[in-house]
Amino acid sequence: MESIILFSPLIGALLCGFGWRIMGEYAAQWTATFLLFIACALSWIVFLTFDGGTQHVQILRWIESGTLAADWAIRLDRLTAIMLIVVTTVSALVHLYSLGYMAHDDNFREGESYRPRFFAYLSFFTFAMLMLVTSDNLVQMFFGWEGVGVASYLLIGFYFRKPSANAAAIKAFVVNRVGDFGFALGIFAIYFMVDSVNFDDIFAAAPALAERNVLFLWEHFNAAELVSLLLFIGAMGKSAQFLLHTWLPDAMEGPTPVSALIHAATMVTAGVFLVCRMSPLIEFAPYTKTFIVYIGAITAFFAATVGLVQTDIKRVIAYSTCSQLGYMFVAAGVGVYSVAMFHLFTHAFFKAMLFLGAGSVIHGMHHEQDMRNYGGLRHKMPYTFWAMMIGTLAITGVGIPLTHIGFAGYLSKDAVIESAWAGGTSAASFAFVALVVAALMTSFYSWRLIFLTFFGEPRGDKHTHEHAHESPTVMLVPLGVLAVGAVFAGMVWYGPYFGESEKIARFFHIPAAGAEAHGEGEAAEADGDHADGEGVAAAVEEAGEGDAEGAAEAVTETSHDDPDAEGRHFAFGGAPGEGAIYIGADNHVLDDAHAAPVWVKVSPFLAMLIGLGLAYLFYILRPDLPGKLAANQAPLYRFLLNKWYIDEIYDFLFVRPAKALGRFLWKQGDGTTIDGFLNGVALGVVPFFTRLAGRAQSGYIFTYAFAMVLGILVLVTWMTLSGGN
Amino acid sequence: MESLLIQYLPILIFLGIAIVFSLVFVGAAVLIARQNPDEEKLSAYECGFEAFEDSRHQFDVRFYLVAILFIIFDLEVAFLFPWAVALGSIGVFGFWSMMIFLGVLTVGFVYEWNKGALEWE
Amino acid sequence: MLPGDLSIIMPEIILAVFAMVGLLVGAYGGKDKTGPAMLWATAVLFIVLAAWIGFQGAGTAHAFLGMFVDDAFARFGKVTVLLSAAVVLLMSESYMARRNLLRFEYPLLVALAVVGMMVMVSAGNLMSLYMGLELQSLALYVIASLRRDSVKSTEAGLKYFVLGALSSGLLLYGASLVYGFAGTTQFLGILAVVGIDTSLGLLFGLSFVIAGLAFKISAAPFHMWTPDVYEGSPTPVTAFFATAPKVAAMLLFARVVHDAFGGVTDDWQQILAVLSVASMFLGAVAAIGQRNIKRLMAYSSIAHMGYALMGLAAGTAAGVEAMLIYMAIYVVMNIGTFAFILSMEKDGSPVTDIETLSMLSRRDPMRALAMLVLLFSLAGVPPLLGFFAKYAVLLAAVEAGLTWLAILGVIASVIGAFYYLRIVYLMYFGADENELDTGGSTMLRVIAMASAAIMVLGLWNLFGVEGVAKAAAATLVN
Repeated sequence: MESIILFSPLIGALLCGFGWRIMGEYAAQWTATFLLFIACALSWIVFLTFDGGTQHVQILRWIESGTLAADWAIRLDRLTAIMLIVVTTVSALVHLYSLGYMAHDDNFREGESYRPRFFAYLSFFTFAMLMLVTSDNLVQMFFGWEGVGVASYLLIGFYFRKPSANAAAIKAFVVNRVGDFGFALGIFAIYFMVDSVNFDDIFAAAPALAERNVLFLWEHFNAAELVSLLLFIGAMGKSAQFLLHTWLPDAMEGPTPVSALIHAATMVTAGVFLVCRMSPLIEFAPYTKTFIVYIGAITAFFAATVGLVQTDIKRVIAYSTCSQLGYMFVAAGVGVYSVAMFHLFTHAFFKAMLFLGAGSVIHGMHHEQDMRNYGGLRHKMPYTFWAMMIGTLAITGVGIPLTHIGFAGYLSKDAVIESAWAGGTSAASFAFVALVVAALMTSFYSWRLIFLTFFGEPRGDKHTHEHAHESPTVMLVPLGVLAVGAVFAGMVWYGPYFGESEKIARFFHIPAAGAEAHGEGEAAEADGDHADGEGVAAAVEEAGEGDAEGAAEAVTETSHDDPDAEGRHFAFGGAPGEGAIYIGADNHVLDDAHAAPVWVKVSPFLAMLIGLGLAYLFYILRPDLPGKLAANQAPLYRFLLNKWYIDEIYDFLFVRPAKALGRFLWKQGDGTTIDGFLNGVALGVVPFFTRLAGRAQSGYIFTYAFAMVLGILVLVTWMTLSGGN
Repeated sequence: MESLLIQYLPILIFLGIAIVFSLVFVGAAVLIARQNPDEEKLSAYECGFEAFEDSRHQFDVRFYLVAILFIIFDLEVAFLFPWAVALGSIGVFGFWSMMIFLGVLTVGFVYEWNKGALEWE
Repeated sequence: MLPGDLSIIMPEIILAVFAMVGLLVGAYGGKDKTGPAMLWATAVLFIVLAAWIGFQGAGTAHAFLGMFVDDAFARFGKVTVLLSAAVVLLMSESYMARRNLLRFEYPLLVALAVVGMMVMVSAGNLMSLYMGLELQSLALYVIASLRRDSVKSTEAGLKYFVLGALSSGLLLYGASLVYGFAGTTQFLGILAVVGIDTSLGLLFGLSFVIAGLAFKISAAPFHMWTPDVYEGSPTPVTAFFATAPKVAAMLLFARVVHDAFGGVTDDWQQILAVLSVASMFLGAVAAIGQRNIKRLMAYSSIAHMGYALMGLAAGTAAGVEAMLIYMAIYVVMNIGTFAFILSMEKDGSPVTDIETLSMLSRRDPMRALAMLVLLFSLAGVPPLLGFFAKYAVLLAAVEAGLTWLAILGVIASVIGAFYYLRIVYLMYFGADENELDTGGSTMLRVIAMASAAIMVLGLWNLFGVEGVAKAAAATLVN
């Protein structure tokens, strides 16, 4: 069944991409969509019937070279199961949606067949993404990783006649290369040290890695830290984290369904998935975890600030995506991988819906994307309006405070924020503040989007507004399905992701450590850096690990065990890699988060309300205020509008020097030196000798004989000088 | 050294005799014969060229054909002399070797004859 | 002793007797009616002899006190020579017949030349070496000027003869020097002397012998005759020149340097390397200026001889093996290419200008494709057989420590690729369509296609040539 899920998108891509000439465009599109729905249905069956234990489904032996052995294999555990439904569901819905969205496109000429190509790319992307999430080893994962990169490149540049789309595609590809370089180095480092690329071997070796130092560049690093950091750099690139985020907003040049599928719901979350997948390793790398928290928090904050002032509807959502990914990384960084996955899961639904809703608006408005030209559209497209409302309610985190009732985003985002608070370290505290502020801004820009688009007076081109229309049913059905997810996903799966520890353990198939042993362990830990106590040691069977942890985490450790942690009766156990995620025995952020004080739990809700109020004030009550504020705070406004000038800095620091270097190598190196040399040889030297040889071939016997005599002369002279010893 | 030079004495004597004879013949012709040269008398043989003029001009290749065919048989005879002298010591093997050689040569001769290479016109 | 000796050289005797009987039959059998029959009979005899020699057992035999050696190396050469001569004869039938050149002497002269070549590759003595060489050369001089009424053909014959005589002189002078310093003309005897006492005179003699042999394989700077003779001779004769005699001379070369001078590898290695470099570069550079495909093939063969010499210059068994493989592949490629050239006709008369090939791909795609494969193979483009031939010699050179030679060889092959590719360019992207006749004789088509097919199919195991070449090289170098 897993194989069917994995390969039906591939078959769809092949059939659609190569077979459409035979079966026709229409049938090709439906074939791809149908196969995706099969995969989707099977994925849900797998997810719901899955008992949690890790399964391996071998497909074929891929690489065998020396000690390097890599399979095509499916590693089915809870993480995979979650990703399977996220990927296939969103993908299936996006396929369906695209049937309507891509029906007409002004970017292509009359009679040009672009639709099968689009569907083939989409299905191929899905296949690559599934390859990534089902992989059993890092090499296969890297294959999927690059496969989605290629698909992303192809789809961003789908409107290949638009220079901006091509530029964006290249940018996405190049920026991703930076991250992928880190990822590749990480894989190399792991293979170098573990002598295997299979997850099982890597996880088993994780405790040992934490005690090893390795020489990298000119410095010795802790092996676990180094590898985790390198892998995280890969994750940063794919998940558009701060510093490597610049490609994501530009990627909105692609068709909107692509943005929904790739650049919101699935591919960009691959980085989060990677971190969670490698949790058995990352748990042993406290410094890297701190780094992840910082990066995540900064991203969440930064992207939210930029989102405040964007006017392109898709870019607003893009920055929102970027920001939400930051949330996920914060959760992963503080060690609550289940919460990261939770937010990933819910985010996929509401963000895909927001994008598809935006696409619906764009579709109805004849590819107008500037929100300043919208307004009052709720009457023209009521279904889209309500879908967007649900999406906004979900992303801003509307729910009933202090209960588990609310939209999906309410539950997962609050879980992230509470986890950040419970992280205890200074990084986590910073993250907490940043995330709450980001939540405020999220609320503001999300509502701003709603208000600008659906409320107020119609602005912009009158003609366009007159012809604005609701989207066809094939586009509305996916919105409806996703709306269900956006409303209920949080409430239904709150327990397994962020509920009682036992539930989480069962969900992710993590063995329990003895409850009483853990209590003792904590007491012992307060002393400093010796073992967690014999109970845990016995349960984990790796006594040394506690020591290493303690030593490495000397700083962070002490703040871990504040009094709140007392009295929790469940501890995660098991060896690294035994469950789908690994949570260290001394990691009790989850419990601490549950015990967060009321003000912490309410703070994101308050932030949301403030954001909503401000947006209402700015865009409904006093529409003149934003302009005034922008004029008042011109430098700040420009700073945000220009996305913190990061693109400009990069342009100055990297792009221009690289281009200059490239131009130099091209003009001087390639053009003058290499071409010059070769052309000189080919057009000057060789013809010269050719003419010479031609002239020597005089046709007279005496010339020929003379040449022979000269030849024998040379030979004899040579012999005389060199031989005869 | 002395004995080595002694060995070459007959050659020196032959050389001397040859010089003397040639001088005698040339001198006798000058002294005794009547001198009445004309163009034909001063020209080279009819088969050859003018001795002292440009060598690049046409000539009849048939002269050369005859000459080459002659040389082959000339060499054959030259080969036969040592063979005949040594026949006693090289025995049957030597005898049949020469017979085969002559046979091969005969085949060539038959061919050239049949082809008309020996006819002037 | 005698019956044993005779049985060892029986194939040569049969061929020689056949030639003489044929001469008589032809002379008495009326003007030129016997020509085609004679040609077929000769070709069939060649093939029968090749099969006989090829399938006779392994082992080494000496005849006439070591004058004549019959070993795996000689058999490799003889089979290659016989088969290539047979194919060239079959190729030439239609061409010669149409131009009224198919006299009965032609196949008989080829047969006599082949006898000479067979003696050459089996030579175990400077005397038998010279005898074989001259028997071959004299026959070749004659067939070069087979077309008596053509100025170019007679010029080719005369040039070949005069320069050939000069080279024979050089070789004989070298042989006499070697005899003078070694006291024997027997290769094994020379080897014994060389190993103990290498006098400069001996090396002098070797230089002259090498010069004489280099003329026969047309290695630069003893190559000058090649383009003129190739151009002037009737095309089938050119095809013959480019194949069998090259194999024989190259193998003789190998025999001399290894059998007689195996003790002074370091000394001749350098000379061969220099000859190799000169040939490769001259062949590559000079061919670029050629518009006449026969002249172009002349330079091409000069360059190819350079590569074969590279294998020889390695001075190892692997080098000889690479050289043998190279020659075998070279012969097949050249036969195919000349089969194509023979079929180049415009309005019924033969043309040799490469411009006439313009856009042949459109008019005769199969023939153009075969030629493309052959040209790519000649240029050494992987994955065709020509590439592996080059690869073998380059590898042998590198393993023998002649890396510089291998690098120069690669550079020369890059330059040389140009003129092969230009023909491909003309055939596929040429400016205007040229009215080159399509079709041509079936025999030529089949041979060209088969040769092209071998270039592709041979990749699997080279038709077993590699193993045979290895065994042959092992008997020569030890």
